[in-house]
Amino acid sequence: MVSFTDRSGNGALRTVARRLLEGLITAWAAVTVTFFALHLTAGDPLSGLFSRGLATQEQIETTRISLGLDAPLLIQYLRYLAGIFRGDLGVSLYTRRPVSQEIFAQLPSTLELAFSGLLIAISLGFVLGILSAWREHHFTGKLAALVTGMATGFPVAFTGILALYAVRTSYQHLPNGSLSPIQHLVLPALVLGFASAGGIARVVHAGLRESMRKPYMLAVQARGIQRGFRFLWHALKPSLPPAVSMSALEAAFLLSGTVVTETIFARPGLGRLLIDSILDGDYPIAMGIVAIVAIFYTLSHIFADLVSVAIDPRLRRRSQ
Amino acid sequence: MENKITSKLTITILACALIVCACSSSNEANSIVYGLTLAPSGIDPHLNASAELGIPLSSVYDTLIFQDPDSGAFVPGLAEEWTISDDGLTYTFDLRDDVIFHDGTPFNADAVIANIDYTTDPENHSFKAALMLGPLAGVEVLDEYTVVFRLEEPYAPLLDALSQVYLGMASPLALETWGPSEYQYHQVGTGPYRFVEYVPNDHLTLSRYEDYNWAPSIYNQRSASIETIVFRFYEDSATRALALESGEVDVIGEVPHLDATRLDADEDFELHPIAIPGQPMQFLFNTLRSPTDDVRVREALIAAVDRADVVKTVFGTHSPVANGPLSAVTKGYSPEAPFPGYDPGHAADLLEAAGWQDDDGDGIRRREGEELHIHIVAPPWGSNSEVAQLLRAAWDKVGATVEIEIAPGFGPLNEVQASGAYHLIGINLFDSDPDLLRSFYTSEGFYNWSGYSDPDLDRILNQAAQASLDAELRWELYAAAATLIRDQALLIPIRDYVNLVVTSNRLEGLHFSAQGWFPLLIDLETAR
Repeated sequence: MVSFTDRSGNGALRTVARRLLEGLITAWAAVTVTFFALHLTAGDPLSGLFSRGLATQEQIETTRISLGLDAPLLIQYLRYLAGIFRGDLGVSLYTRRPVSQEIFAQLPSTLELAFSGLLIAISLGFVLGILSAWREHHFTGKLAALVTGMATGFPVAFTGILALYAVRTSYQHLPNGSLSPIQHLVLPALVLGFASAGGIARVVHAGLRESMRKPYMLAVQARGIQRGFRFLWHALKPSLPPAVSMSALEAAFLLSGTVVTETIFARPGLGRLLIDSILDGDYPIAMGIVAIVAIFYTLSHIFADLVSVAIDPRLRRRSQ
Repeated sequence: MENKITSKLTITILACALIVCACSSSNEANSIVYGLTLAPSGIDPHLNASAELGIPLSSVYDTLIFQDPDSGAFVPGLAEEWTISDDGLTYTFDLRDDVIFHDGTPFNADAVIANIDYTTDPENHSFKAALMLGPLAGVEVLDEYTVVFRLEEPYAPLLDALSQVYLGMASPLALETWGPSEYQYHQVGTGPYRFVEYVPNDHLTLSRYEDYNWAPSIYNQRSASIETIVFRFYEDSATRALALESGEVDVIGEVPHLDATRLDADEDFELHPIAIPGQPMQFLFNTLRSPTDDVRVREALIAAVDRADVVKTVFGTHSPVANGPLSAVTKGYSPEAPFPGYDPGHAADLLEAAGWQDDDGDGIRRREGEELHIHIVAPPWGSNSEVAQLLRAAWDKVGATVEIEIAPGFGPLNEVQASGAYHLIGINLFDSDPDLLRSFYTSEGFYNWSGYSDPDLDRILNQAAQASLDAELRWELYAAAATLIRDQALLIPIRDYVNLVVTSNRLEGLHFSAQGWFPLLIDLETAR
């Protein structure tokens, strides 16, 4: 959560600038760690690149030199950083296309799935969280808690295959060979949204329970305000900021963490590109995705902080 | 409320889907979806090395010659005939004069030169095709429809190389226009299908080339009957059978064996087990490290494993047990030198003879206080780790302690190999030509991971690689090599690879190239 220094826009601006700088440092750290981790663990990228058995060691070395992969690791790292500042993320070892082009080719599909998934996660998460707190001792509340537990506990690999089984006889691919939107977007978004709803539901549930125990709720009750309104207005509002932070976390996760969903539903996307590039040893692509996701994490957190402040004025006053 | 929104959304989307259906129903009978099992990084066959790219692209390109998948004979393609000089150094190809690329460019000798130049340009970093050309010295135009390939030394695998998609003939205009980084998205050949579109990780679309009129004899049809073929990527093996059952794909390969057996029993589907030539799944013994530096220990470890039982347990009933350094469908495979069968008594005798004894009755054999310890390194793919578990169980029983290490990818596997810290390592390659043995079993071979060196074996394999004019002699040399390799127990062969391809029963005519992986799409038909 933020500590805005004063209520004027100027202070908020300064804070945003500071957060941006922090974000930049985070992104740099992420890129650095990934760079060295990849080079130290995944081995020689050229060993996977060449058709096995045909290349001689000499041919491999020639290629290594022409790709600049013979330089000491530190030099390669500095070159890479210098490239980033010029907006150049390098070239894929396999396709020879600029990394930025490869990533932006996958981005629309990822954004489509992440956005739909997030929408479902937030709405389902709030419904489950509110139900399980409001009707805590009734059947519906217990059911909501159970579903929350399943959402948190079941891996996407399981719910995804289950969803495919459930609909396997009820649709066909379209005659022109493309997939029906149900298969291509609705199902994966539901599966992904369900998985992310669990965390949001828990935060909402915990926030509501805490608020209901606060003394001010007694005062609200004494004023004769109905339980439903007490719940959905007076108790829910203060528990929103953590839920917003949680949603921002989930949003950033959805950008890169959708590899299982993408694989099961045969969708393109950044998650798959990331995993494939790591397994192939296509370092430039892997690094580029990590850098972009790190920047997105930072931005979504700044956005979440701003939303939280807008919702809850106490966040502004607290630091005065 | 949540549900209402979802169902409204569903209804809206369904409505849209119906509209799309209605618009495109004219194509209905004439389009299929082909499921691929991994999304290749880079799909220019002249530059990239993936086998998966050949599944769609083998039908986009024609090659100078083709290989008959049944007889293994080379037959005319874009070259009507060819001659090989007596010294095996000069190949002259007479080209067809009636072939037009998908973009309208005529095919001729200059087009062949443009392809070889593009493939062998060091700037383009060809990871497979350029290497398949072996000791190529140069190509020359004799006249508009005659081209000559000159070699530095005889190279028997050249014809096989020229019959594969990696050396398929691309339009020189398209190569020139797009260059090495963009050409893969705009491929132009002379094959029965044109390349329409490729969206990485999503789909690749081919459509029928109406003017195709030069089909080689390995195709049953003269032109394609299916209008559009869309390829999609199903990397998770658990979803492949589901994709077939839901009607999402009409054909898909590498179906897990339990799913394949289940679908085989269903009359809506048909199973095609396709044997793949090359090496079987295998583990190579490290002959430079104790205790596997002793041939008796290597023989004992082979005899201690019931390989038939291992194969049945891990791969079901569709995979044959491997019996040598080549799989049984590979040219040059010899049934004359089978690996010894399961005989734990013989294994124990061999270990005793090699000095490994269990004196204190604790079930572990020792020699001069040192335990009989075996370190297996397995790659993460192809059920190598499951097989390694069963090897451990078998070798535990004859008194060895076994450690299994899974190398998470090809890079790490290479690194363990370079360190020498292994007794067995899992690695194998597929190809239609047995020359791949040379890189595994000659002293200087790139894949000589067993560390074995024998001048006789080197001589035999090098001679086989150069025996361009006498196929019978070549196969005899490979049989002799297989016997030497068996006698030295350089590997434990597990199973011959069989690709389990399943089709919906509306699809007919599926068959594959000599490499086993690449479907001859021109012959596919949808049943009425």
